[in-house]
Amino acid sequence: MADAPAARPPWRQALFAPAKSPLWSALFAILCALAFCFLAILATGKDAASGYADLFQGALGSPRALGESAIKGSVLLLTGLSVTVAFTVGLFNIGAEGQFIWGALAAAVAGHLLPLPAALALPAALLAAALAGGLWALIPAWLKSARGVHEVISTILLNWVAIDLVHGWLVAGPLSVASGNADVSIAGTAPIRDEAALPRLFAASGSRLDLGLPIALAIALCVWLFLTRTRRGFEWRCVGAGPEAARAQGIRNGRCIAEAMFLSGALAGVAGALIILGTEHRYPGVFRTGYGFDGIAVALVGGVTAPGAVAAGFFFGALRAGSTRLQLVGIHPSFAELIQGVAVLLVAAPRLFAPLLAKLRGRVNSAPGAAQPTAEAP
Amino acid sequence: MSPLLQSLLDALHALLEFAPPLVLASLGGVLSEKSGVVNIGLEGMMRFGAFFAAAVAISTGNPWLGLVAGALAGALSAALHALLCLRYRADQVVSGIALNLVALSSVTFLLEAIFGSAGVSPPSPQLPRIFGHSALTWLALVLPFAMHWMFTRTQAGLRIRAVGEHPRAAATAGVAVLRLRALCVIGSGALAGLGGATLSIGILGQFDVRMPAGQGFMALAAMIFGKWTPLGALGACVFFALAEVVQRSLSLTFHAADLHLEGLFLALPYALTLLVLALGVGRTRAPAADGVPYDPEGR
Repeated sequence: MADAPAARPPWRQALFAPAKSPLWSALFAILCALAFCFLAILATGKDAASGYADLFQGALGSPRALGESAIKGSVLLLTGLSVTVAFTVGLFNIGAEGQFIWGALAAAVAGHLLPLPAALALPAALLAAALAGGLWALIPAWLKSARGVHEVISTILLNWVAIDLVHGWLVAGPLSVASGNADVSIAGTAPIRDEAALPRLFAASGSRLDLGLPIALAIALCVWLFLTRTRRGFEWRCVGAGPEAARAQGIRNGRCIAEAMFLSGALAGVAGALIILGTEHRYPGVFRTGYGFDGIAVALVGGVTAPGAVAAGFFFGALRAGSTRLQLVGIHPSFAELIQGVAVLLVAAPRLFAPLLAKLRGRVNSAPGAAQPTAEAP
Repeated sequence: MSPLLQSLLDALHALLEFAPPLVLASLGGVLSEKSGVVNIGLEGMMRFGAFFAAAVAISTGNPWLGLVAGALAGALSAALHALLCLRYRADQVVSGIALNLVALSSVTFLLEAIFGSAGVSPPSPQLPRIFGHSALTWLALVLPFAMHWMFTRTQAGLRIRAVGEHPRAAATAGVAVLRLRALCVIGSGALAGLGGATLSIGILGQFDVRMPAGQGFMALAAMIFGKWTPLGALGACVFFALAEVVQRSLSLTFHAADLHLEGLFLALPYALTLLVLALGVGRTRAPAADGVPYDPEGR
């Protein structure tokens, strides 16, 4: 039987080693999702082919479009990393959205208030965002290890608290810029100082791409090295794989959970800062984010690994950038989220593709010279 | 009538508007998790229920058909959850989250495709009101007791609990574990769909793109707060609804909208829920096999 080897996985084990080839699972899932959504557009009687062509154009068709895709990709890879890091200790951080929002607000406030020279203003704003996101993420970590509250529930509730407090109170009230007669509800906070803004890399080509991309990539590299090459990263993974066994080995679970959640929140916070310091330059009065929620999809499609999060982040970033063009053929831009959702639904069940994968692998194995690690026992 | 009595009656009326969607969805959560399947997808199932109830009610002009459609839509999406979790042994939390993502985006997509709107549907026919409230409100008050009776007094209830606590033992006694779990998950989706229908054709009289605005997650929290029992869930939902009523009246009293303080009040019920959970109510009372996949061939 094709799916025999992964017999009796304990809960969540499937997450850490989804299929034997998470890459293939993710690619199948994305292809199926694209095909499914193509049919969905056709079913509504709209021009699916030109819709997809527009999507492609809007994502990769020009330097400006590429820039938008890369900007969104940088943000998504960070929120995806955020969810991934929490996963390594076995926590499902649904709260990246709330951490993202606090990070964005902290960056906007720090970028406006701190009178620092250029070399310090940007790092200070990023640091403030990381702190804000990280501290917010410590709440569910504490609730989990001290009070036994499931992190999925607490992070979801904290998202609503963050959204209501920031959008419904702070940005609309105390922090909103006093702008005479202008409509206060869309004003947002005071603009950040020029020193704190992320410099644009290719301003001449009309692309808005900024320093956020290299920053995000560097962070991703560090996180990957940390998780896979350091003792503490190994301890985190032990806690995620088996908390009891980890405890028996003298690993302090509560501490690992707190540290990992802090890093997770900090990553989401920095993602928020990239948007504020890069393109918005203030916390806008109407801020439709969703980057934190999308981080869940990025992490899952990315197979819950750092390199996977980078790849999935850029893919979904391009999708998000391109989907704004779908309005031209009368398709709601939230269409990108549909593709995302269907893809996650499909990667959620790696066994869906198991027979197909086994067939593919069989073909590779039988090819001469193909050194596949191990053929699975039947 | 004295002003105090009047305001109490108003509060009761508001309570009976807020609580039923939560109660129905929360009962759905209890049903699914009692059988051992975690259902984070309640939010998405409510959304499908709310949308299809409104869409069918509008197109047929019959709110009762809408109600059926809402329950069916919830049940169908739950069937997908059951298929992924039980047959393909997907992680139950991940599958639920994915379902929520799909519900969020596909309903937005359908709203645009069918009604050409990114905000709200046209007004839908509403369910007739009995004593000032829709029939679903009264259903939501009776159902918890019916479910309590089912779990404690009937063979079906005993089997569901057995499958959620110790599936292997239940299987030895001749219970078809996976089939029973699938039925419970589908029933759970139907209840969540009814909860969603309460929002659209029961209370508001149209579908709003923001529905159910986190109520599915609140229902989940209520289920935990209520220690995975129907009556506990009912109590927790009434408590949350009360918090919502108090929040709204406080918000009005303090002119929160004018002072841009609305967010402070809106955040209150969520913060209160967190506090309640943090105080340790409902700790470690989940069914023993909740969230653990069952492999019929395993040992």
